[in-house]
Amino acid sequence: MASSREIERTAAAWLARRDAGHWSERDQARLNAWLDVATAHRVAFIRLDASWQRSDRLKALGAGLRPDGVPARGSWPSPRSGNVDAPAPVPALRHAPPTRSASCSHRHVVGRRRTPSRALFGGLAIATLMILATLALGWRHYTAVEQASYRTAIGDVQELPLVDGSTATLSSDSQILVTMSRGERHVDLQRGEAFFVVAKDPSRPFVVSANGRRAIAVGTRFAVRREDDAVRVVVTEGVVRLEPKSQSGGSHQATTLLPAGSVALAGDSGVVVHSESVLQAMEYLSWRNGFLSFHDTPLASAVAEFNRYNTRKIVIGDTTIGSMRVGGNFRWANTDAFVRLLEQGFPIRAERAHGDIVLYRR
Amino acid sequence: MFGTNRRHLSPTRKLAHPPTRIAVKVAAVDDSLNSWFAREVLVHEGALMRYLLRTWFRREEIHDLRQDIYVRVYEAAAKSRPTMPKSFMFTTARHLMTDRLRRGRVVSIEAVGDIDALNVLIDELTPERQLSSRQELRRLSEALDRLPDRCREVVWLRKVEDLSQKEVAARMGISEKTVEKQVAKGARLIADHVHGGTVVRRVRPDDVKGAQNEDADEDGHGQQPGD
Repeated sequence: MASSREIERTAAAWLARRDAGHWSERDQARLNAWLDVATAHRVAFIRLDASWQRSDRLKALGAGLRPDGVPARGSWPSPRSGNVDAPAPVPALRHAPPTRSASCSHRHVVGRRRTPSRALFGGLAIATLMILATLALGWRHYTAVEQASYRTAIGDVQELPLVDGSTATLSSDSQILVTMSRGERHVDLQRGEAFFVVAKDPSRPFVVSANGRRAIAVGTRFAVRREDDAVRVVVTEGVVRLEPKSQSGGSHQATTLLPAGSVALAGDSGVVVHSESVLQAMEYLSWRNGFLSFHDTPLASAVAEFNRYNTRKIVIGDTTIGSMRVGGNFRWANTDAFVRLLEQGFPIRAERAHGDIVLYRR
Repeated sequence: MFGTNRRHLSPTRKLAHPPTRIAVKVAAVDDSLNSWFAREVLVHEGALMRYLLRTWFRREEIHDLRQDIYVRVYEAAAKSRPTMPKSFMFTTARHLMTDRLRRGRVVSIEAVGDIDALNVLIDELTPERQLSSRQELRRLSEALDRLPDRCREVVWLRKVEDLSQKEVAARMGISEKTVEKQVAKGARLIADHVHGGTVVRRVRPDDVKGAQNEDADEDGHGQQPGD
């Protein structure tokens, strides 16, 4: 049986075909036959049909506009509603950083537009010199159109739409600086971990840098995480190119190509790549859905994972238990459930002290 | 299947008569069931998606899960319409997720202990409001603005300037087939936004209580398709 997404695509194709006009009884009979195959077909079609019909109301947007081309995005008069969170119309910036969730104080968005500074003092020679200087200083800065910085607090995971159509999912206690320029989409992972769904744009590679490493993708899904001096890259779709550390001269460390399913740990001494199935690789990213997955993981590592997401820390009070192996899927927000399971399944007892949870051997 | 259709129909398409849009019923079955489904079930898609995203562990399965939920609700409603469609849909969702967890090989037993997390009180979910016509227009215009350039232009010409697909093709200097493809794409993307109010998630289970953001979610602004 087709996947739900395939069914949705087929339903959309039918809808578009019908929308094209010249729709005959025979066409309708064929559509009916397809709809009768499975309720899944029918609900998919009803769903698309309902919103497609509702979008007839878009006609209201055209009122008063001269019919010459499509207006820019966001150029609609914003209808006032009772909602305080109504987005401001953003006609000038073609891509404005997301303005929603002003209520999240820990996330700040800086959007600014850089314009080339030229001909400040007049005079052709000076202007030319300046342009050359700017070129020399870095094409990237020259063409940078927008920069935005995002940060999450401990215990907060946020999915952020980026201006190029990609999305970044920021893990707990993480920070990124996004610079979009004409030649490159650049994300500086300054702290923590982030997962990226990259919109395809062959002319502008999507580069994530962390700890001096650069992971480059054109259209793919992958996560980058900082770990002390190392960088972990998990690829779940497409291919990511992991470049050697810039300081190392690039001569003795080769560039590594990471296909989907790769889990790469890049440290000073080199890159270790585990090739796993895509599903296995995804388990490294289950934090996005609020979970942590462990398979035969030392308790010390599992605890460290939990601590990434919680201000209330778990402390291993007895080094001998750190090497016990744990497995399973846990909600990272539910430290108590995790500790309870440890107490039930292992010779471990937990003491709550000063807001932390200390684990001892029982 | 489509290919043959199209080849078969292409001579007709070249006829000069203006495109007549026939008011077509969605299907031969009870049409009122379909409109009931759109009105009473699909309208809660935003709340459903937030619920699924919050509770379901494998995000890539959510599209499929949503389909299964709709299928079950639709089939049940064909026999007898539930009196409280929203509660019925969430109950169905919970049952389906429980089934999947129990059947699944991949999710280990500890997650089943977490099944309590599925028991979100329906009351905790914001009641869906009937969108006012201004809000609806805003949501539609956001959906439009989210479309890729070419798709957006096609939808604009088709829906706002009310050109036929053929006229859109002529205006844009692209083939009718391309227009049709863009319409299909636009219909899918618009559906996600209009029904779902695609959500930027704050994955915090205890955030269920934080209803202050739910209002924003209802209107779906500032949000972007998830996957």
